[in-house]
Amino acid sequence: MRRSRRLLLPLLGILVTAALPGCGASDGRGSSPPSEADVELTLTDADGRQVRLSGPARRVVSLVPSATQTLGALGAAEVVVARTDHDTASWTRALPSVGGGLQPSLEAIVAARPDLVIRFGGPQDPRTPDGLDRLGVPHLAIRPDRIADVLESARLLGRAVGREAAADSLVREIEAALDSVRASTAGRDRVRMAYVLGGDPPWVAGPGTYLDELIELAGGENAFGDLGSLYAAVSVEDFIARRVALVVTSDAGRLDPRAARGARVVEVGDALEIPGPGVADAARLLARIVHPEDGS
Amino acid sequence: MSRPALALVLLVALAAAIVLGVRFGPVELTTGEVLAALAGSGPEWQRQIVVDLRLPRMLLGALVGGGLALAGATFQALLRNPLAEPYILGISGGASVGAVSVIALGLAGAASWVLPLAALAGALLAIGLVFRVATAAGRSLDVRVLLLAGVVVAAFFTACIAFILSVAEARTVQSAVLWIMGSLAGARWQSVLVAAAYTLPAAILLMGLARPLNLIAIGEETAQYLGADVERVKRTALALAALLTAAGVAVAGVIAFVGLVVPHAIRLLVGSDHRALLPLSFLGGATFLILCDIVAQVVLAPTQLPVGVITAFVGVPLFLVLLRRSLVA
Repeated sequence: MRRSRRLLLPLLGILVTAALPGCGASDGRGSSPPSEADVELTLTDADGRQVRLSGPARRVVSLVPSATQTLGALGAAEVVVARTDHDTASWTRALPSVGGGLQPSLEAIVAARPDLVIRFGGPQDPRTPDGLDRLGVPHLAIRPDRIADVLESARLLGRAVGREAAADSLVREIEAALDSVRASTAGRDRVRMAYVLGGDPPWVAGPGTYLDELIELAGGENAFGDLGSLYAAVSVEDFIARRVALVVTSDAGRLDPRAARGARVVEVGDALEIPGPGVADAARLLARIVHPEDGS
Repeated sequence: MSRPALALVLLVALAAAIVLGVRFGPVELTTGEVLAALAGSGPEWQRQIVVDLRLPRMLLGALVGGGLALAGATFQALLRNPLAEPYILGISGGASVGAVSVIALGLAGAASWVLPLAALAGALLAIGLVFRVATAAGRSLDVRVLLLAGVVVAAFFTACIAFILSVAEARTVQSAVLWIMGSLAGARWQSVLVAAAYTLPAAILLMGLARPLNLIAIGEETAQYLGADVERVKRTALALAALLTAAGVAVAGVIAFVGLVVPHAIRLLVGSDHRALLPLSFLGGATFLILCDIVAQVVLAPTQLPVGVITAFVGVPLFLVLLRRSLVA
C-alpha cells in the first residue's frame, strides 16, 4: 500500500475494535447487536491473508486512521475501543490511545482487549503483526492507498464488524458522488496541475497515487504523471519546465515560490490526503479548485 | 567506591530495575495484578502484558545492555582508544544494511526471524571485511589498521543505507529508520533465548581474558615481554566482542551510548583493572539499558520513544558529571 500522507507526517491512528466473544456482550457495549450473531467469518485482507473470526468484531483497535473514519461512517463507532495518536475524528477523543499507527504499544493494545486489530498492510511494520500473532489477537491488514482501496476497505470493514448493508450503501453513495464529479468535468479542457505534499525540494504525487486519481477525476492533468515512482522530490527546475498552471498544496508557506511562479496556488491543508470515506468530499473540493468559474 | 561494594550495588540495582520494568509499563496495572499475573492467575490480558511482553523485554534489555557495555570495554582496551565503542568496526553499519535491505525488498514481514538474521549476517560481513583488511599486511593484527578499516567500512555502509533509502518507497523508509534507531519492543521469549545463547558464553570467555587485557591495555610490546600471547588474546577478544555486538544489534537494532558511556563510567569509579571492569560493565550496562527502556516506554505512554534517545539524554549528563568529578579529585 502506498502512503499518501507526506513522508514527514507520522502515520495514523489506532482503532481498537476488540470484540471478545463472551466478554464483549457483558461489558455494556452490546447496545447495537449486529444482525448476524456470531456466525464464523473468514475474511481475506489486503495482504491476501485469511483471517478467521468467531463472529463480527465487537472490540476493535484500528491502527489506520482512515479505517477508523470508515468504521465511524458505517455507524460502528461504538465497537472502536482505542485510538492512535493520529486520529482526528472528534468521537475518538475520549478513547485511550495505543501510540502510533506503526509500532504501537502492544501492551496498550492488549490492555484494550480487542477481538480484532485493524493494521496497515504491507511490510512497513513487521513487528506489530508478529507480536499480535504471538499474543493470539486476530488482525486485519488494510490498504488505504487508492480510491478502489477505500471502497474495498469499506466492504472488508463492513463484513468484519457485521455491517455489510451499511458498507454497501456507503460504497454506492461514494461511487455515485464520484460519478457526478466525473460527469461535471467531462469534455472540458484539462488543467495542467501538480499536487505538492510539501518539502524542499518539493515532494509531488506521481502516477498511481490516490492524489493522481483525484486530479484526473476533478478535471486536471497531473503534470508529474510520468514520474517513475509514487512520490518523489523534484527539482525546482523540472517544476518550471513542466509549465504547471495550478499548484495544489497542503501548506503554501512551505512551497518554493520559484517553483510556483506563474501558477495559481491553492492551499488545502490535509483535506485531500486521507484516502477514507471523505473521498467524495475531496473530489468535489478539488473539482471546484480546478474549475473555480463553476461557482457553487 | 570499593569493587565488592560496587558489585553489590549494581547487582541490587539490576534486580530492582527488572522488578521495576515488570511492575511499570505504558499500561497501568496494580502491584496485586502484576503479582497475580506472575503467579499465573488473573485475567489473560494482564498475564500477556506481564509475562509475554514485560518480562522478556526486561531480560532482553539486560542481555543486550550488558553485552554492549562489555564489548565497549573490550574494544577500548584492545584499540587503546577512549572513543572506541561496540559499533566502531562498522558492525552497526553492516547490520543496518542487512536489515534495511530486507525491509526495502519487502521481505521483513515474511517471518519473524528474517530481520534479525539479515542484521546478523550484515554484522558478520562487516566484521569479516574489517578483519581481513587488518590482517592483510602480515600475520599480526594491527589495531590501527583495524580502526581505520572499521571507520571506512562504516562510511561505506552508511552510503549503502542512504542509497537504499533514497530509492525505496516512502513507507519502507519509515520502518527502516525506526529499526535503525533501536528498540527492545520486539522482545519475545524466543529472542531472549537466542540472545542468551550468544551473550552469556561470550561474556564469560571475555571476562576470562581480563588479565592479559590488562597487559595489552598498557602496550602490546610490554604485554609480549610479560608473557601474554598478545596475538591470540587480541583475536579472540575482538571476535568475542564483535559477536556480542552483532547478537545485540540483531535482536534490538542500534542502541547508542551504552557501550561507550558505561565502561568509562565504571572505569572512573573503580579504575581500569579489567578483572573488575569487565563484569561490572556488564552489570552496569544491563541495569542502565533496562532503566532507560522503562523511561522510554512510560514518559510519553503509549507513544514509545526510541530507547537510544533516553540512553543519550540520561547517559551523557551522567557521564559528564562523573568525568568532571574525576578531574577535580
